[in-house]
Amino acid sequence: MATIKIDGREIPFEQGDTIIRAAHRAGIDIPHYCWHPGLSVAANCRMCLVEVLPPPGRPAMQLEILQWDAAKGDYVSARKPKLIPACQQGCAPGMEVLSQTSEHVEEARSAVQELLLLNHPVDCPICDQAGECRLQDYWLEHQRTGKRMHQEVVHKPKAVVFGPTIVYDAERCIVCTRCVRFCEEVAHDPVLSVSQRGNVNEIVISPGKQLDHDYTLMTEHVCPVGALTSVDFRFKARVWFLRSARTVCQGCATGCNAYLDYDPRNNTPCRHRPRDNEQVNKYWMCDEGMLSYKRAIENRLLTALVGGEDATIEDALDAVKEQLAGFGDDASRVAVVLSAQHSNEDNFTLLSLARTFVGAKNLYVSGRPLGRGDKILMSEDKNPNTRGVMQLAGSLAPKPIALLLDAVKAGKYSFVIALGAELEVDEQEALGVLSKLKGLVTIASHDGPLVRAAHVALPAMAWAETDGTFVNRQGLAQRSEPALTPRGDATAGWDLVTRLGKKLGYAMTFKSLADVRRAISAETRTDSGANGASGAARTDADRTATKPEVSV
Amino acid sequence: MEPLDRDLEEGLLELPSEPMMLNMGPSHPAMHGTVRIVLELSGEQILKADVQIGYLHRGFEKMCERGTWSQVFPYVDRCNYVSPMLNNVGYALAVEKMLGVTVPERCQYYRVVLGELARLCDHMICSGAMCMELGAFTPFLYYARARENIWDIFEEETGARVTHSFGRVGGMASPPTKYFKDMVRAAVPRVIALIVEGEKMLLKNRIFLDRLEGVGVMSKEDALALGWTGVVLRASGVPYDVRKAHPYMVYDRMDFDVPVGTAGDNYDRFMCRQEEIRQSARIIEQALAQMPDDGPINIDDPRVVMPPKNDVYTTIEATIQHFKIVMEGLKVPAGECYSYTEAGNGELGFYLVSDGSGTPFRVRIRPPCFASTQGLEQLIKGAMIPDVVPTFGSLNMIGGECDH
Amino acid sequence: MSKRVLEILGERFGHDVLETHSQFGDDTAVVNPARWLEIATFLRDDSRCAMNMFVDITAVDYLGRQTPRFEVVMHLRSLERGHRVRLKARVGDEDGQNAEIDSVVSVWKGANWFEREAFDMFGVVFRGHPDLRRLLMYPEFVGYPLRKDYPADKIQPLVEFRNVPGKLPPFGPDEGMSFGRQTHDYRRDEPGGEAN
Repeated sequence: MATIKIDGREIPFEQGDTIIRAAHRAGIDIPHYCWHPGLSVAANCRMCLVEVLPPPGRPAMQLEILQWDAAKGDYVSARKPKLIPACQQGCAPGMEVLSQTSEHVEEARSAVQELLLLNHPVDCPICDQAGECRLQDYWLEHQRTGKRMHQEVVHKPKAVVFGPTIVYDAERCIVCTRCVRFCEEVAHDPVLSVSQRGNVNEIVISPGKQLDHDYTLMTEHVCPVGALTSVDFRFKARVWFLRSARTVCQGCATGCNAYLDYDPRNNTPCRHRPRDNEQVNKYWMCDEGMLSYKRAIENRLLTALVGGEDATIEDALDAVKEQLAGFGDDASRVAVVLSAQHSNEDNFTLLSLARTFVGAKNLYVSGRPLGRGDKILMSEDKNPNTRGVMQLAGSLAPKPIALLLDAVKAGKYSFVIALGAELEVDEQEALGVLSKLKGLVTIASHDGPLVRAAHVALPAMAWAETDGTFVNRQGLAQRSEPALTPRGDATAGWDLVTRLGKKLGYAMTFKSLADVRRAISAETRTDSGANGASGAARTDADRTATKPEVSV
Repeated sequence: MEPLDRDLEEGLLELPSEPMMLNMGPSHPAMHGTVRIVLELSGEQILKADVQIGYLHRGFEKMCERGTWSQVFPYVDRCNYVSPMLNNVGYALAVEKMLGVTVPERCQYYRVVLGELARLCDHMICSGAMCMELGAFTPFLYYARARENIWDIFEEETGARVTHSFGRVGGMASPPTKYFKDMVRAAVPRVIALIVEGEKMLLKNRIFLDRLEGVGVMSKEDALALGWTGVVLRASGVPYDVRKAHPYMVYDRMDFDVPVGTAGDNYDRFMCRQEEIRQSARIIEQALAQMPDDGPINIDDPRVVMPPKNDVYTTIEATIQHFKIVMEGLKVPAGECYSYTEAGNGELGFYLVSDGSGTPFRVRIRPPCFASTQGLEQLIKGAMIPDVVPTFGSLNMIGGECDH
Repeated sequence: MSKRVLEILGERFGHDVLETHSQFGDDTAVVNPARWLEIATFLRDDSRCAMNMFVDITAVDYLGRQTPRFEVVMHLRSLERGHRVRLKARVGDEDGQNAEIDSVVSVWKGANWFEREAFDMFGVVFRGHPDLRRLLMYPEFVGYPLRKDYPADKIQPLVEFRNVPGKLPPFGPDEGMSFGRQTHDYRRDEPGGEAN
């Protein structure tokens, strides 16, 4: 493997890597503002300047400079090596790079930092970026001195509204052009550009347009300073009070990896941030997904409902026993509805109740109706776990809800045990049809048509409160960590199914999430390899069969 | 008592002889800072004593883990609250040891002077409180009045009389005031004069001497094994003073003696304290003479020291510096260290564990009077109840420090 | 000067001295907890070390960073030689069980209260301690406060006022408590012999 040396440490690099990319892979941080692993190279911040030792046998490239000589009290001619931006310089085998060990590099970094802060407004107390701001971090690491300019700073427009989601502050902007490059290269909507020159540079919107494509919140995410702020998050919370949980976005089947930032003091989710994943979402998330963190608390089912009235879970389970009396007699009159909105664990528990205990063979799957997709990240399927449900069910392929309603109209079923709240058909029609059932129970985390139609509804924990596995449209099973503590009476979905099963007289033995996961992997091992649903990657055949639809 | 009309053998008609349990404290005039001693008495003699502390436990060590390194200063103040400056200095030195920085000389002298003034307060009040509990109320008032002189200096310098939280990592909160030296030079002789006045009343008093001499004797070996340090150890004959054994700051430039006792009883402890007061005055005098009149008080490292407030409001760099130090805390390199100084009661140790961030991972304060109070049981066993008072008083248990 | 102590320890105990370092100038040795008492006795009695001054025993909880979880830390000093050493031993598993180590009270009397405090704050049991009960906290306290998984704002259950029938206060140190003397039974004869 070809290697370069950074500060004496050998790191490997791949063909076409720049120094900064090779360092990024190895976990070495070369300070930078304008470089981003997912965008093209602009090299305008000059923070990543490093000293590259000349190849053997060649003289170093040097600059003629005037250096202040304290002894003489005057400037004298001197030479110092020309520094090279690490984001632009490609790696060559055997290259030696000095980053932290070179005093010229330290001087350069301090100088760049000083110039960036020269006209910067004293906004830290009100700037949202405080606590995750590169200017702050690099000042402490590289500059640590005061300002040498004693004039009034340059004033530029502040709080310029770029669009319905983004506000721009030109004084804080360091014109790294990350936002400009993002809109052009990733979002394919080049609506931002740089205007003016010199120290009156600012970012402007094309005249007559707004920043309103589907990825506007990503411009705020790439901005290294507090120049671009999102209307949704600004002034909402200070980042040092927030903790991050590694979750999976629930907006659509792409399953972008995300960080859910929540405030543990009052148990509220504050924002989503994308998590890097080369295979799934690279470095990005769409606006819909970014704002879907609110679903952790909005529209939740927090208490059990019996006939539309609040009840405790114990009472509700008793009511279920009543409602579903005669349930076990004829397995063919029972329909089980799985949910593409719930995790693999919840679905598996219901599936095992259906298959192993009840012997029901009629499976259906519920979820949100199709929406708008695009070629960049968004999928039309707005359910995070459709493939997961399909994989778990295996040969008993679940059918869509419309067929369930037809069957109920035809009088085929008396009992339905369901997971989830969403129905992709018209609500009024569904309510009318489902009221014909003798017993309809659903276990859901949110309120929705199925919950309203059900005789008994049990409150499940939402994705943000529990550990869950979701399989995205590429077939990758991804784990989402819990963030919030459960609200109201919400209990884990798999736990509610187990208790339901026990109440109906079946010996369901899942006592912990680990039990459920063990059962899932045991199940998938006995099945043929193509049906693997939990844990790590699947067979290669499946991976090539399902080409990733991500084109970022 | 058994009824007299029953036929009983001679030997059974005896008085009940179970020992009496007496509870001293926690709310008791002689129990400095809330301590409970459960005594098992036979008449007036103590058979067993169970010293129970913890009434002033405030979870200082747990609280330190929830803030930054500089937020520990107010907590540390309230440990030994009669000599808070010594705690401040001890903790600041511990963090500076981990950071690998030394404060400028002027700051070291400043710390020494303020520290010795605090030590004066500590010793005076200990002696005064002990006398008061023996019935001699006047010396206590004299010493309290003497302490007022010192507190006036503290108020002028730091803004607060007692818990001033004046120490900082890398220096002090603000430089000495213009008349600092004059004030101290004026106050110390007055303090010594009042000390002498108080002693005149005590040292020839038969009752006082009888109650202190030969009471509460601790041998040298026991004192060492019990972890005693400071005055109580020196009174038992061990010449160990951290300022002489492991000199820190500018103590190696000071010329002072360390009073050592012979008998290890209450009287020796009392006299050691009185002598140490005079030695502290000597140190203060020398330090004032050697202290430079100008020069920086804080070290010049933006990662540790806060910027001037005016700059914070007007320049971005100072705002960032202020922000980083306050919000993230000054970053101390990962590792552990134990740093010790001579506080009012003995070797005050700070065992700090850092994980490299701005929040301490573990701050352990090794309180000198924790070890001293441990020995109380041994001292009062076999003694009489009235002996508990001067014995306990001479140990100088400060509740805040012992219970932390 | 204290470097010699580390060398002497290494010579005498070989593999039981797991690591040594002198970070920030403090000589430290991490030792095998099974030989804690032996090492302590050796340090006191050996004339080259002569650690007759007991300074401090405490514990540090490294939950999530290290197993075993607790580190029992002891600081010692020698009066004659003036050198200091820090001894550390790692005990305890993730739930805080099996955090046991020998008590050094038989070597230095002063370890008594320090070990009681470490027990009180961390739940580290010192085998052979004459009277291992809580020191700073009240006997009915639930949990071990300085552990990292003890939240600082946890609310304790209310304790009933001690009521010894037929007796007026003052109560002895262990009278009237709802469940026997809070001494830790380090012999572990019966399952209920543990404190808290």
